[in-house]
Amino acid sequence: MLFRTLAKPDFKALVERILASTEVIGPKRVGTDRHGRPIHHYLPVESFDEIDLDYETTEFSAKTYFLPYKENLCSYRFQDDDWRQEIRYRIQPRAIIGLHACDIHALIKLDKALARDFFPSPYYISRRKNTFVVGIDHDPCEGGFCRSLGTDTATHGFDLFLTDLGERYFVAIGSDRGFRALSGLPAAEITEQDTEDYLRVRKRIAAGFKTEINVQNLPNLLDIEFESPVWEKWGGKCLSCGSCAMVCPTCYCYGVSERVSMDFASGAKTKQLYSCNLIDFAVVAGGHNFRPNRQTRLKYRYYHQHRGFMEAYDEPKCVGCNRCGRTCLAGINPVEVIRDLQAEDET
Amino acid sequence: MKQLFYPFDISLESEMKEPLDFNRRSRTKDVDRVFRAEITNVIRLTEMEKLFQVRIMDDAERQRFTFLPGQFLMLELPGYGEIPISISSAPTNKGFLELCIRRAGTVTGALHKARRGARVGLRGPFGTHFPMEKMKGNNVLLIAGGLGLAPLRAPIFHVIQNRSDYRNVHIFYGTGSPEQLLFDYQYDEWRRIDDIEMEVIVERPDPNWKGPVGLITKLLDHVEINPRETYAIVCGPPIMFKFVCARLSDLGVPMQRMFVSLERRMHCGMGKCCRCNVGSTFTCMDGPVFDYWSVMNLKEAI
Amino acid sequence: MKYLGIEPKRLRFAVFEFTGCEGCELQLANKEETLLAFLGAVDVVEFREVSSARNGAYDVALVDGAISRTDEVERLREIRARAKVLVALGSCACFGGVNRMKNACDLDQANREVYGDHPKETLPTRAIHEVVPVDLKIPGCPVSKAEVERIVQHLLFEVPYQFPVYPVCLECKQHFTVCLFDKGQLCLGPITRGGCDAPCPAGGLGCWGCRGKAADANIDEFRSIARERAHGEREIAERLGFFGGFEEHS
Repeated sequence: MLFRTLAKPDFKALVERILASTEVIGPKRVGTDRHGRPIHHYLPVESFDEIDLDYETTEFSAKTYFLPYKENLCSYRFQDDDWRQEIRYRIQPRAIIGLHACDIHALIKLDKALARDFFPSPYYISRRKNTFVVGIDHDPCEGGFCRSLGTDTATHGFDLFLTDLGERYFVAIGSDRGFRALSGLPAAEITEQDTEDYLRVRKRIAAGFKTEINVQNLPNLLDIEFESPVWEKWGGKCLSCGSCAMVCPTCYCYGVSERVSMDFASGAKTKQLYSCNLIDFAVVAGGHNFRPNRQTRLKYRYYHQHRGFMEAYDEPKCVGCNRCGRTCLAGINPVEVIRDLQAEDET
Repeated sequence: MKQLFYPFDISLESEMKEPLDFNRRSRTKDVDRVFRAEITNVIRLTEMEKLFQVRIMDDAERQRFTFLPGQFLMLELPGYGEIPISISSAPTNKGFLELCIRRAGTVTGALHKARRGARVGLRGPFGTHFPMEKMKGNNVLLIAGGLGLAPLRAPIFHVIQNRSDYRNVHIFYGTGSPEQLLFDYQYDEWRRIDDIEMEVIVERPDPNWKGPVGLITKLLDHVEINPRETYAIVCGPPIMFKFVCARLSDLGVPMQRMFVSLERRMHCGMGKCCRCNVGSTFTCMDGPVFDYWSVMNLKEAI
Repeated sequence: MKYLGIEPKRLRFAVFEFTGCEGCELQLANKEETLLAFLGAVDVVEFREVSSARNGAYDVALVDGAISRTDEVERLREIRARAKVLVALGSCACFGGVNRMKNACDLDQANREVYGDHPKETLPTRAIHEVVPVDLKIPGCPVSKAEVERIVQHLLFEVPYQFPVYPVCLECKQHFTVCLFDKGQLCLGPITRGGCDAPCPAGGLGCWGCRGKAADANIDEFRSIARERAHGEREIAERLGFFGGFEEHS
């Protein structure tokens, strides 16, 4: 990989250059929670100063910019007895500034599930390829367990990746597009001093992780503990509200619905991100529900995260961001659920 | 100012310009583009089920459309919704398709109102198929319960059209009551074919019923099965195929030679929406056709 | 007007109001961009908000408001007898709505407080289905016009309509709305049927449950969450009882 350093004012100049021609999404502070902690969301920004790169985490992942919560899959025009189908894909470029490594790993996982092997999604690919991704290193967020999942650093899946060295950024260039974006800016070849400083920062970050879990045995454990009382315990608390899947950077399940305009002249087929915790997720024609209980549905979510995805892609779907744990009003968080399962296995 | 990033238009990519073919899974394509199809005939089967004969309208698309017995389609009623439907016709008919549909919800409710000439959309085919090739030279048991005869018709037609490839063929069909029997006008034709035995059983006979009475497993009591040369396809509700497969297993048929079709509510058919997952298996990609040993190993399959 | 070769029924609609604010009816008349199309698809034979026509026979009766007087009971029974499809429109019609609050008080005392020395004849508030059989309930305070339009389309083509079964939280998350519990507020979002697009939390107001209970609402867990966040029993009970959609829990 190519590396450069970029002085912070020059990075600002780069973002302003992007802003001049392209929509820019960045972490924006939107408020304060009841404990006095700042709340950040990835939102469109109009100036560099709206971006707060020093954020700890965001309440929601950035997936909606790649996998919108609601997306029009096609439109229909009706005339007489007939109809025509119209499909449009996104072609406008966009930049996302300031994704953390876990969220870049989330994109890499979504790439595998949605853009490769079988039935690659033109909707996802269009958004992914039209999005310029700038990542940034950060000190561990509270409760995050990305290090246990190997998603605390990113080596691909981005155009540029920044590490804050104080006055300047250490910049990893992940694509030709990233390289071209730097052209004309005083980006310097890295020196020995830069490398030394970079490694020191990486070490500091690595030492900061407090939350760790063992995920190695999970695929097998989930199979063995299929009837575990752990599911009863946590499933009984589940509100079946789907919030965990909505904030998750890799949950991609969806449902499709259609509607017709009141004058019956046009219609649309819409995809809405859904959650396996919602009661009708596994209802089939005629009304039979294959997962009528909360605990079955919650178990299924862990099954997909740590076993199903593993079987298909040799890695868990979870990136350890703990957004689901933070958003869950009932306090269901993956670290405790997994530890409970493992404790159950040992008794 | 010059644009920093070039817009990427996926519709200009070469793979996207290839003719739409859902059998070429790895190619990038308009995955939500439907084949426009016309309902040519509507055949009333029972109070609840109708058979829709549909024809893909574009000549080239119709010719190119191929499927294998056991695969399914996504049937689109623009504005109402899209549902997974097993194909109920002979694979040799290509883009002339038969779809047997029970009135159950919004889309099927609307479809039951549609008349010939109405235009619907089709995507597919999707999923796995019954291993008709592997079954060659063997005896074949084709067993259906209730609506299960709809997906079983494709393998029935395949066996009939390639009759010399298979040895003895049994078709067993059971429903709750005589008025629920599907395709009753076809049984006589199937029975007349050399060495095809067809038996129909109902649980609750009416006064006119002359055939056997009971559960479908009863039909297996009289049949001679050579377990080493027999394959079975079993279509029906889980409770039905569970008992039938257990009975066949008792008779010595290996579970890897029994095939069932699982029903789930797919929203995409392409391994993306996750609605049809059984444990960690995608019914739309790894199924709907599974051998029974695999089903036994799937959590929450039955 | 044909759609997919299916000729829709030409249905005669009538709209009636009982005890309530008529907001749901106004909502129907409000959405101007689709009002003409809406009125083009159905024959409105009685709808005070948009027409002065009164000509008798109708197929579908949309009933807005709760039942709180003897004459209302009689009028409703008559409407039921004449309508092929009776639809309860809005939270008052579906659950009794805000009017139901009076059921918790002494009826005479409530009457005196409101009407002073000129008390009116009054009954405990009831939802429409507590008086006559109802074919369809469209909850909401007010109802969502878009949802009503969809339901009307489904009635025209005689196919069943599926209400969303998920709670309000799902739509809050999809709009990047900061959770109101995070801001220290009480919100019925986790247990209330969604489909409204969650406008109240987006505007900073916790959900009051106007659409009634979500399928599989985990009320016990919700109560303990609210208690943990220092919301008192009385506040929780009042919130649950507000629209009457959680009657058995308030």
